[in-house]
Amino acid sequence: MTGADLALGLTILAGLLLRAAGLLLGGALRPDHPAIAWASAVSVATLSAFVVLAILAPAGLLASVPLPARLAGVAAGALGWRLLRGRLLPAMLCGLAGLLLAWWAMPG
Amino acid sequence: MRGARPSPTTPAARPAAPPRPPADLRRAARHHAAVPPPPPFRTGLVEALGAPALAMGATFLAFGAAVAEAGLSPAWALLSTGAVYGMAGQLVLLQAAGLPGAAALPAVVAATAANARFLPMSVAIAPLLGPRRPLWRRLAALPFIAITPWAAAMRRLPGLEESARLPWFLGFALASWCVAMAATAAGHLAAPALPAPLRAALLFANPLYFALLLAADLGRPGVRGAVIGGALAAPLALWLGPAWGLLAAGLVGGTGAFWLGRRTGRRA
Repeated sequence: MTGADLALGLTILAGLLLRAAGLLLGGALRPDHPAIAWASAVSVATLSAFVVLAILAPAGLLASVPLPARLAGVAAGALGWRLLRGRLLPAMLCGLAGLLLAWWAMPG
Repeated sequence: MRGARPSPTTPAARPAAPPRPPADLRRAARHHAAVPPPPPFRTGLVEALGAPALAMGATFLAFGAAVAEAGLSPAWALLSTGAVYGMAGQLVLLQAAGLPGAAALPAVVAATAANARFLPMSVAIAPLLGPRRPLWRRLAALPFIAITPWAAAMRRLPGLEESARLPWFLGFALASWCVAMAATAAGHLAAPALPAPLRAALLFANPLYFALLLAADLGRPGVRGAVIGGALAAPLALWLGPAWGLLAAGLVGGTGAFWLGRRTGRRA
């Protein structure tokens, strides 16, 4: 077993424990308990931070897409979302097309 | 549907109206009056196969290709997708695994911190999966708690009857999981045919999907604060790095929004 395999196995175990602890804890509380509302707010905020970072300051391969192209992708997606009255799939296709077009049209 | 409405003149002559099914099932029933509404498991499964499948498929395709480039096996890629099932942690793990002589423990801690959102997500979804169900039935949802099914379920489950919630979630989650697995395998196989710019564009599908969902959430007063709080706290992640940064931003932004919401709620 290599280090990568061991790391994968332990990460899987840790993820299952986190999920199980959450389900047990959340199931034991009243649905209107403040801890449930807090956990929900933290989850939504994490997702929101992820989106902002992925668009404005991504790490890894996504960073190779220039910022104007990423912004064009978001703008095209939002425009598609409005024009197509909230239909997600076509709005996403608009966004991805916007990103690719802007990237292709950029000099250099 | 008109026949089922109770009449004020003959209350005893008609049987009691059956409980109303959810809106989408009622719509389907109007179209095919003779056909019973589809079971919630199938409804969830079909709903997953639109935009959510595109968002997940594109991301996991790029992930499969990245695993192949790092020289790791398809089995490693599939096990990572199928059982870790949280892209932020998967990427941290992949980066750490690719480093020469990397120790396993720091990689595990970093990947788990990147996926620590599983804990608050599970706490938040647990009451929606039916608190009156036996625990083992709720645990059927455990391996599938990931951001895409969770975000869809938090919108959808409150509008469903309690008995329909777990089947709907399992249908949606199983379809998403199958898409993720198939895309990971395809990405690993097709890595040479997926040049870096194309993979980078594919990776953008996921944040774009969530950006649109969250933009819609800005109109929901109970959720708006957390969306704004997370966005404002995002720079924390730049300072703390990819493993702990997201966790810190979520904790700070979410807790701030929670307290502000409670204070303004009390005053109202």
